[in-house]
Amino acid sequence: MKLIYRIALRLSLVLLPLIALWGALFYFTMVDEINDEADDALENYSELIIIRMLAGQEPPRINEGSNNSYSITPVDSDYAAQRPHIDYYDAEVYIPEKEETEPARVLATIFQGNDGLYYELKVATPTFEKDDLLQTILGWTIFLYFLLLITVISVTVLVFYRNLQPLYALLRWLDEYIPGRESRPVPNNTKITEFQQLNTAAQKAVDRSEALFEQQKQFIGNASHELQTPLAVLSSRMEWLLDNTELSETQMNELIEMKRTLNHTVRLNKTLLLLTKIENNQFPESTQVDLATMIREQKEIYDEIYASREIRCTLELPDAFPVQMNESLSSVLISNLLKNAYRHSSEGAMIDVRIEGRTLTISNDGEQALDTEHIFERFYKKSKQDGSTGLGLALVKAIALLYNIEVRYHYSEKRHYFTLIWP
Amino acid sequence: MKILIIEDEPSLRELMERTLTKEHYIVETAENYAQAEEKLALYNYDCILLDIMLPDGNGLHLLEELKAQDKRESVIIISARDSLEDKILGLEQGADDYLPKPFHLMELTARIRSVIRRSQGNGKKGYTLGNVYLDPESHRVEVEGQELPLLKKEFDILAYFMQRPGHLVDKAVLAEAVWGDHADQADNFHFVYAQMKNLRRKLEEAGATIEIKVVYGFGYKLAVNQ
Repeated sequence: MKLIYRIALRLSLVLLPLIALWGALFYFTMVDEINDEADDALENYSELIIIRMLAGQEPPRINEGSNNSYSITPVDSDYAAQRPHIDYYDAEVYIPEKEETEPARVLATIFQGNDGLYYELKVATPTFEKDDLLQTILGWTIFLYFLLLITVISVTVLVFYRNLQPLYALLRWLDEYIPGRESRPVPNNTKITEFQQLNTAAQKAVDRSEALFEQQKQFIGNASHELQTPLAVLSSRMEWLLDNTELSETQMNELIEMKRTLNHTVRLNKTLLLLTKIENNQFPESTQVDLATMIREQKEIYDEIYASREIRCTLELPDAFPVQMNESLSSVLISNLLKNAYRHSSEGAMIDVRIEGRTLTISNDGEQALDTEHIFERFYKKSKQDGSTGLGLALVKAIALLYNIEVRYHYSEKRHYFTLIWP
Repeated sequence: MKILIIEDEPSLRELMERTLTKEHYIVETAENYAQAEEKLALYNYDCILLDIMLPDGNGLHLLEELKAQDKRESVIIISARDSLEDKILGLEQGADDYLPKPFHLMELTARIRSVIRRSQGNGKKGYTLGNVYLDPESHRVEVEGQELPLLKKEFDILAYFMQRPGHLVDKAVLAEAVWGDHADQADNFHFVYAQMKNLRRKLEEAGATIEIKVVYGFGYKLAVNQ
């Protein structure tokens, strides 16, 4: 979730109860105030009627042009004793002129007339529709809520993006950063202290990891390099022994096995050197290489080498697929992927190589998905297969990185798919 | 045939010397730049094996000096640095071949033979063994003067053995030499066996006096039948 969405969500969540509370308060204050006014008027009106009654004067006409109305009913003393003598309440009152009932504020007053009997005077004044008011207030509250929300959020977004520019610059930079590649320094043109600190910290971290990366690379390079000569000596001495001494079959067999193991070590060492060289970008010269032709040629070779497994390899290639690459690296790239497909295919399996647009896909049957996370790492091996260096896919990855080729692996319907996408 | 080995690693130097002596070459050695310079100034050699990374100087300078002195020795560069730049630079400076470490001793002798053969440039350019003649440039094989048609892989195998007569060749090494790196992780050698069977049959049918013999289960050896 983006930070700004989170902020917006939080703001709207906080605003919701706040505005609801405000709406409720507004409603009750409003009702209270209106009732207060109505009650005052009713009190005056009822006082006037009672004074007139007690003075024996004619009571006012029922309706003096207003919607006010009153009624006087005699009540017995029990009722008078039970009820409060002054009582305000809301009620529905029938208005004869309009021939309908309307909400009204009523004041019921119980008083003792001159004759000593109790009378109940009910004065009513039509008042507002509470439901209407409630609806209106609710409508406006919701409107206010959204208005406020939009205002608050847009101001927040504006302020947010304005002020977080340095953070986004840093994030963009980190996205582009690839360890071991030339990269521009961390952008640091902000005056905000926190961001300056963050940028400095990022630069320091990157410098540190860069130094480590360089050290490690050099170490691997140097180690492989130093191993070359002793390996050469060892290999040559074994060869000499084989060629120049009388050996029994067992001795010879052992010696050949030793030599094969040694050859494997030599190959491992050479591959490590090659990896280091690729990572050091020591393959500057590149030419136009036709991968379609290369794949066709290599397929023939692998068909021959793995003939005993009767693997069916189908090619769906255009006449030519020219790419700009170092020739030997392109060969390493293709042969490692093809070799893997053949090597890990069981008898009678299907291999399919196709080029569509600028995408090369090599797929082969396989029982189990590979660990997508780790297959491109050095020395990742699923099984201890003889002769495998565990560096093939690491090489593929390194070459792809050098030429900005996207490498993907996925597994579906019991097939492994390796995809290379040229930019 | 006089050969000078310029190599600072004593064990490797001794081994190269031993191998080449057994091949009936006259071998001298130099363990550093100064010694090499001295020997080159005093004597002439047919072939020089030059390690370009010497403790007291870059072997490539020796090449320059040889060129300056207009000497016509064949030079094979031996280097632990298997880099294209070194190779190109060395060959540009007049080296005849470039052999990256680690190498097979057989490979070394084959290269020396090939370099010397080229520099002498007399008569036929190919290899002759028994009644078989093989020309690597035109890809032709003749048995008793009659052309023997071979498929590409069969030819490559025969060429490999013709350059290493009498040496035991491991199947795995042969596979890598002929099929390249593609064969390095093969789980069996049926494909070598299939080609080998055809080649041996063709040689026999043509009445060749050489034979590629199977050595136990793991290798082959080219022998000339008396």
